[in-house]
Parts: sequence; C-alpha cells; structure tokens
Amino acid sequence: MSELILQTIVNSIYAASYMSLIAVGLVLIFGVMGVINFAHGELYMAGAYTVVALYSGLNLPFFVAVVVGMVFVGLLGLVMEYAFFRALRDNPLGGLIASIGFLLILQTVAVLGFGVRMAHIRPSTQEKIELFDGVLLTHQRLYVIVAAILLLTALYIFLRKTKFGWAMRACAQDTEAAALQGISLNQITRIAMFIGAGLAGVVGALTAPLVSPTPYMGHSIIVTAFIIIVVGGIGQLEGAVVAAILYAFVHTFVTTFFDGVVADMVGLVLMLLVLVVKPTGLFGANDRV
Amino acid sequence: MLLEIKDIHVHYGKIAALKGVSMEVPEDGIVTIIGANGAGKSTTLRAISGLSKISAGEIWFDGERIDALPPEKIVACGIAQVPEGRRVFPDLSVEENLRTGAFLRNDRVEIDHSLEQVFTRFPRLKERRSQWAKTLSGGEQQMVAIGRALMSKPRLLLLDEPSMGLAPVIIQEIVRILEDIVADGVPVVLVEQNAELALSLARYAYVLETGSVSLAGIAEDLHENDHVKKAYLGG
Ligand SMILES: Nc1ncnc2c1ncn2[C@@H]1O[C@H](COP(=O)(O)OP(=O)(O)OP(=O)(O)O)[C@@H](O)[C@H]1O
Ligand SMILES: [Mg+2]
Repeated sequence: MSELILQTIVNSIYAASYMSLIAVGLVLIFGVMGVINFAHGELYMAGAYTVVALYSGLNLPFFVAVVVGMVFVGLLGLVMEYAFFRALRDNPLGGLIASIGFLLILQTVAVLGFGVRMAHIRPSTQEKIELFDGVLLTHQRLYVIVAAILLLTALYIFLRKTKFGWAMRACAQDTEAAALQGISLNQITRIAMFIGAGLAGVVGALTAPLVSPTPYMGHSIIVTAFIIIVVGGIGQLEGAVVAAILYAFVHTFVTTFFDGVVADMVGLVLMLLVLVVKPTGLFGANDRV
Repeated sequence: MLLEIKDIHVHYGKIAALKGVSMEVPEDGIVTIIGANGAGKSTTLRAISGLSKISAGEIWFDGERIDALPPEKIVACGIAQVPEGRRVFPDLSVEENLRTGAFLRNDRVEIDHSLEQVFTRFPRLKERRSQWAKTLSGGEQQMVAIGRALMSKPRLLLLDEPSMGLAPVIIQEIVRILEDIVADGVPVVLVEQNAELALSLARYAYVLETGSVSLAGIAEDLHENDHVKKAYLGG
C-alpha cells in the first residue's frame, strides 16, 4: 500500500511537471495579449508530431527532435501572432475565435500528414530508476520533470532579472503605460507567443513516446489547462504552477484509487469550488503575471 | 521651438476631443496647460505621445514630424510622459518600474548611474526599491512615475496632473523636484487643474476650453487675466 502511495506521488510529480509547463505558456500569452489561446492544445500536439516525424520517421536522435519541436512550435506561435492576434488586438472574442480556427487548421494538417490513428513511438530509453522498493520512475518521465524544473527556473529568471522580462510583465499590467516607456507591444507579444508556444511544443515532444499522439490529443489538455488557470487565478504565473501541482496530485490520486472519469469530475468540482469561494482564483487579485 | 503642435484634431469615436489645437514649447522652462475637466488636456498629451492618433494637423519635435509614429518611437525621440493617474506597474518592484523607463537604453553603466540619480532625487524610493509599487503611497507612486520618466533621459517631459490627490506637503516636494528637473535643462509641459500652482511655476500657459485653446500667453499675464481669474483662480 505504501508503495502504491509513493508511486502515485511520483506519478503526480510527473503530471504536475507537464501541466505546469502547458498552463504557464497559456497564462503568459493571456497576460500579454488578453486572449485565451484555445489552440494551445494543438501546439502541444504539433510538438508531439515533430517527434513522430523526426525521431520515429527520420531516426534523428530523440533530443534533437525535442529541441526542433520546441523551436518549430515556437515559430508556429509567431505565425499565429502575425496572422491573427495582431490584427485582433483589443478584441478578445475575435482572438478567441481566431485561435479556434487555428486549432482546426493544425488538426487538419495533422490528420492529412499522419492520419487519424494513434502514432506509436518507441521509447527513447528503457532505463528506469528505482526510487524506493518497487517505486519506479522511468527516464522518459524523468526528462519531463527535469525539463519542467529547468524551463520554469529559466522563465522565472527571465521575468525577474532581464529587461525584456520586466517589459513583458509591464505590458501585462498596463499596456499603455508600457508603451510610454518605449516598450513595443508587438515585440513583447512576439516574445511571449514564442515562449508560450515553445513550452507547449516541448511538452508535446517530450511526452510523445509516453502518450501515443493523435491529431485530437490537444482537447483533453486544453480543458485541464483551462481548469488550472482558473483555479490559479487567470493571469497568475505562480498561481498556474501551484494549481497545476494541486490538480495533478488530486487527479492522479483519484485516478489511481477510483478511476479516471471520477478524477475528471473531481477536477471540475475543484474548479467550481474555487470559483464559488474565491472567484478570482487562489492567487488572483488584480495582480497579473 | 522644441515642440510644435499645429492645429491638431482628435476624435474618440464620434466625439471631438480636440478641435484644432496649436501650441509651442521652447527649449527650456515650463509650459502649462490648464482647463476644466474634459477640456482635452490629457488628450493633448496623449496625442503628443502617440497614444491617441490625430485625425488632422501636425506635431513636430525638434525638426521631425512625429504624429504618425507609434508611442515607442516617440519615446525614442526623447519625449517622456508621466500619465494621468501615475500608472505605475503595480506588480513590479520600485526598481523594476524605474528600470522599465530605461527600456530603450543599452548603456548598462549609465543606466545604473541614472538610477542612482533618481534615488538621490527621491531618497524615499531608495529605501523602498524592492517593494511592489502597489504598496506605495500616492505621493511615492507619483515619484516612481516621475523617476521612471527621467530614466529615459528625456529631452522633453510631459506631466499630467502630478498634484492630483496629494497632500500639500507632498505637492511641495513634487514642485521642488520639478524645478530641479527644469534647472537641469529638461523642458516640461505641465497639465494641471490647480491653475494657481501651474501659473506660478510656468513661463507660458495655454487655457483649453472644450477642445480649443481659448487663451495663450505669458503665465504671469494670464494670472492677471480677468477671465482666467474668474474661471480658474476662484475669483
Ligand atoms: N477614451 C475615451 N473615449 C471617449 N471619450 C473620451 C476618452 N477619453 C477622453 N474622452 C473625452 O474627451 C474629452 C477630453 O478628455 P480629456 O481626458 O483630454 O480631458 P482633460 O482635460 O484631461 O480632463 P480632466 O481634467 O478630467 O483630466 C472629454 O470630453 C472626454 O469625455
Ligand atoms: Mg486629464
């Protein structure tokens, strides 16, 4: 029994890792553009299919495929910014609809390119660590945890210690006042889109061997990410990380000890509870990013 | 003239906020714009900074036409604005707020030097440099907003109602700092509802009424003008 609990904790840490990367990217984009990017799940999917194409298809080394996936999806983010969001600034509904349109385009491209069936990817490694008696962590999952720690730390340093980081937070807090400091909203938006999309891409790429990608894999992840950013307080980066950890633990434990459908319901109930008790989310006030 | 505004019009939707405003700002000293609520004072400053687009007219700064430039390019030309209501970044620390003012500068050492200068001007901000700006008092926030504008090393400073909501002692402090800034050779455009204060500080003054300049001239003269006395100086 205690092994099962320890194993579930390890699984929760893994889930918390990839969910926080997804949610943080979504929050970053929302903070600067004021748009919930509904195509975020499809960016994650695009990262996974980069690995399908390069690692499974072309036999490139796994980590090369992952890095290419991150950059490629980051560039997709720039395309979205350029093609849709820039023209639709100050129009949250328009941005939302455009992101749904982009979601459908990416899904269709994935179907045309790879078919609707699950792509099975051979693991890049069979190694695993035995943390305690009978409690295992595969290297494939460890990569995701390490990536989350490194990337979230790097993002934190970027936002707190560099002038583009201050500028990004400034834009999220007061766009006009930021413009009066000589900060170009277009430039900052591009950086936020690249980072936010790239984070979704790297998660998709790293988890591809673990999840068997399909063109529709973005659906469940966007719903989960949405719950997390509401729980954390929309616009709150730290809130998103804490909420991702909370959600991951609750969801993983309920899945293990009851089942997945119950876990999804518990997740939604969690969101509703937070909305009733504190409508601005756990970390929400009017503070953003 | 450092800044020349020629017959500008600004519309918010169908509402005409400025209906042909012209102004000139020389290389030094304070020019003030006074007027009642809704007269178009803030809109004039917003037009200069490129936040509100003009529908007709021209704005020239130091021989360059700037009215079609985006706000960040206008900052790069050397015009900084302290907006109405201060608009500090609430969830940035005091130091981060100040450093965003230097966003377009790349001279690290010089930026650190400017920061020290701001802290010398506003010793209270130095003590609070790592505090979130939202935790500061109104007067301290105004100091952050002015300090932030100075961090861009402006050649012209636009101030929109710096005295708003502040206690008289704090206003005096702000006035002293303003005079310092002007003494250092940075000209200032000061928008004020407190006409008495504004006319005592400024060399030239413009009176805005419902989107048009109704009076303009030497501040001292306007201070003695009957209409100004009646409408803006309480008798
Ligand atoms: N964003 C806006 N949308 C619509 N109308 C606006 C907007 N901003 C200002 N106005 C209108 O434009 C006119 C000029 O406003 P402005 O803010 O420039 O006045 P002001 O002289 O600065 O007033 P105050 O002393 O109250 O700050 C007013 O009639 C105002 O209602
Ligand atoms: Mg005003």
